[in-house]
Amino acid sequence: MLRAHKLAAGEVESHPGANECSQVAGPRLTRETLDMWTSSHPLTRRALLAGSAALPLAPVRAAEPVIVASKIDTEGALIGEMILALLEAAGIPARNRLQLGPTRILRAAILSGAIDLYPEYTGNAAFFFAMDGDPVWKDARAGYECARALDLQRSDLVWLKPAPADNSWVLAMRADFADAHRLATLDDFARWTREAGAVKLAASAEFVESRSGLPAFQETYGFSLGARQLLVLSGGNTSATIKAAADGISGVNAAMAYGTDGALAALGLRALEDTKHAQPVYAPAPVARGLIVQSYPQMAAVLAPAFQTLDVQVLRRLNEQIAIEGREARLVARTYLREHGLLA
Amino acid sequence: MSTASLADARRGLRIHVADRVAFALALPAIAAAIFAGFLSIAPNRLADGRPLALWQLGALDSAIAFGLLILLFAAAFIRDETWRSKLLFVAGAGLLIAILLTAGATAYGHLDPREPARRISLGSAFWILSAVGSLACFQSLQRVSRTAKILAPLALAAAAAAIAASGALDALSLTREFHAQRATFASELARHVGLVAFAILLACLCAVPLTLAAVYRENARATIFTTLNLLQTIPSIALFGVLIAPLSFLGAQVPLANKIGIGGIGAAPAIIALVLYALLPLVRSADAGLRNVPADVRESARGMGMTPRQIFWRVDLPLALPALISGLRVATVQSIGLAVVAALIGAGGLGTFVFQGIGEYALDLVLVGTLPTIALAVSADALFQIVLANLRCRP
Repeated sequence: MLRAHKLAAGEVESHPGANECSQVAGPRLTRETLDMWTSSHPLTRRALLAGSAALPLAPVRAAEPVIVASKIDTEGALIGEMILALLEAAGIPARNRLQLGPTRILRAAILSGAIDLYPEYTGNAAFFFAMDGDPVWKDARAGYECARALDLQRSDLVWLKPAPADNSWVLAMRADFADAHRLATLDDFARWTREAGAVKLAASAEFVESRSGLPAFQETYGFSLGARQLLVLSGGNTSATIKAAADGISGVNAAMAYGTDGALAALGLRALEDTKHAQPVYAPAPVARGLIVQSYPQMAAVLAPAFQTLDVQVLRRLNEQIAIEGREARLVARTYLREHGLLA
Repeated sequence: MSTASLADARRGLRIHVADRVAFALALPAIAAAIFAGFLSIAPNRLADGRPLALWQLGALDSAIAFGLLILLFAAAFIRDETWRSKLLFVAGAGLLIAILLTAGATAYGHLDPREPARRISLGSAFWILSAVGSLACFQSLQRVSRTAKILAPLALAAAAAAIAASGALDALSLTREFHAQRATFASELARHVGLVAFAILLACLCAVPLTLAAVYRENARATIFTTLNLLQTIPSIALFGVLIAPLSFLGAQVPLANKIGIGGIGAAPAIIALVLYALLPLVRSADAGLRNVPADVRESARGMGMTPRQIFWRVDLPLALPALISGLRVATVQSIGLAVVAALIGAGGLGTFVFQGIGEYALDLVLVGTLPTIALAVSADALFQIVLANLRCRP
């Protein structure tokens, strides 16, 4: 699945300030303030009005449809369809602009007001605010709070309640191979790499070069892969890396993938456990323009119960139904919501 | 034996290939039918499929397909042109219909309720045979009336559409991908056509002053063509990307621009990029058309007492019209293809399916975007050809 997770250097918004999160994520961010934003608390409206007063952006479009977008990938289609179904069921008019483009385009679109709502990953905020070295992103809650606070303050964007899933980069190997060599965690992988060294990893150029990608894994677990042990692909397409590892193309036996990749299980691959949390947490959360949350204050309460249920296993299973079994994202999303009583 | 009789003997022995195109089409088609996979059967959407050659299918199906291929091969040797054309058309059109029906029926036969994720995709032999079938049809229509030239392809397209609409192809992976996208397909198709139409309209408006300057102002000419040539060399994805920043700025600074939808993403940068690419073919061919108006024609018009304005409208423009339409044709066909890339900057269109398919490694989904794009380009091209043919016929 093509996942333009990360932005290339130089494409980040010009917000220097790696220390700001320690400020905003500090004592001011209490449990109450969090709930205020993520539920339909009566204070929300007033607080938002106060917050948006300083940011004259596009006009409020009350009673106009919420333009729902997503990234051009499987999970974007899945979560986007869920959002559409939930908004419709709650009587909030919504317009479908799913599969709009890669991360950079979605970010530009929501900042300019061309779209109103789309699912984004908390770890990506590190790149939006040029703070990718900050350890705050490795903690699900702190990372979310930091992203929420920074985006609200700077762009009047509201991060609604995230799903308890982590769609970060993982390393995956063929399950039979991993069993034979007793590889379950990245510690095992590092030990095996140091001893045997017979690894060949298929990965994207971005993963190999980005500070939070392979270098973070190597630093945390103490191994290093040479140029000959890597098969570097230009795009972020994990279907290709997973296929290479599954079929042993060019001697590849390990693949870069995403935590919620549906293709892993289908092609007999297993993700190695990141026990030391080398990766930032990429939890999917709906991000909405402040003005639209103000127009539809019930939105947070409409979306939160469904997002609450989307853990890694659920997302992996649903992604697999779309990408491997070829079922329609719309049907998969609605069937799931109905089965769990989240949609009438 | 004398030299003359030797030559006679050789001539008698040599088999005469009457139609080299048909001969060249038949051989790779037969090779593909024997060696390449006609269908491929995969356990799921992502896994590799097991190829199934044409001769491995049902006896009747493969007999019909191979029979038509032999007919195509035989047609290459018929000396009588009328008969050769008829046979070529029957073989080509028959092949197209036969492989569609065979593929659809075989796919149904391989469906397995215990394996709902199983995918039956069209293999390379199918695509080679359909290309050969279409080319054979076109070759057979070389010397028929203009009406027949238009009606025969339309009839074939209608037959293929009827087969698809009857549900005979529903078991194929390509059809399943199409069904999965049917909710958005029509709107993305309309968006694609809209992008191209609007861009071509704008490009025509921009091309008028540029052409006039290039034709009548010698010093502007070099600058215009250097700039347009330079624009043409920029890779499309780069040009789409480059426009995001200035348009975002414009959208953020000018409230009116934002209100009418001009921003860094979406239709605005896509249309601007398409316009920039369409300018070169439009201006270049219009320039060539206007400059090639014979000087003596213009001279006699002046001799008849026409004013320069009258000469432009009544002599230059009508004589340059075929060149103008040719430029429009190139620009339109080019824009239909380029608009696919616009999906990457949020403009939507058929490229949405292409990039989604590439990301999911689902080649049949890529085809859901690609095949209509090809059909659009071919239809636009045919339409302009018809217009051009009508223009040239008129006295």
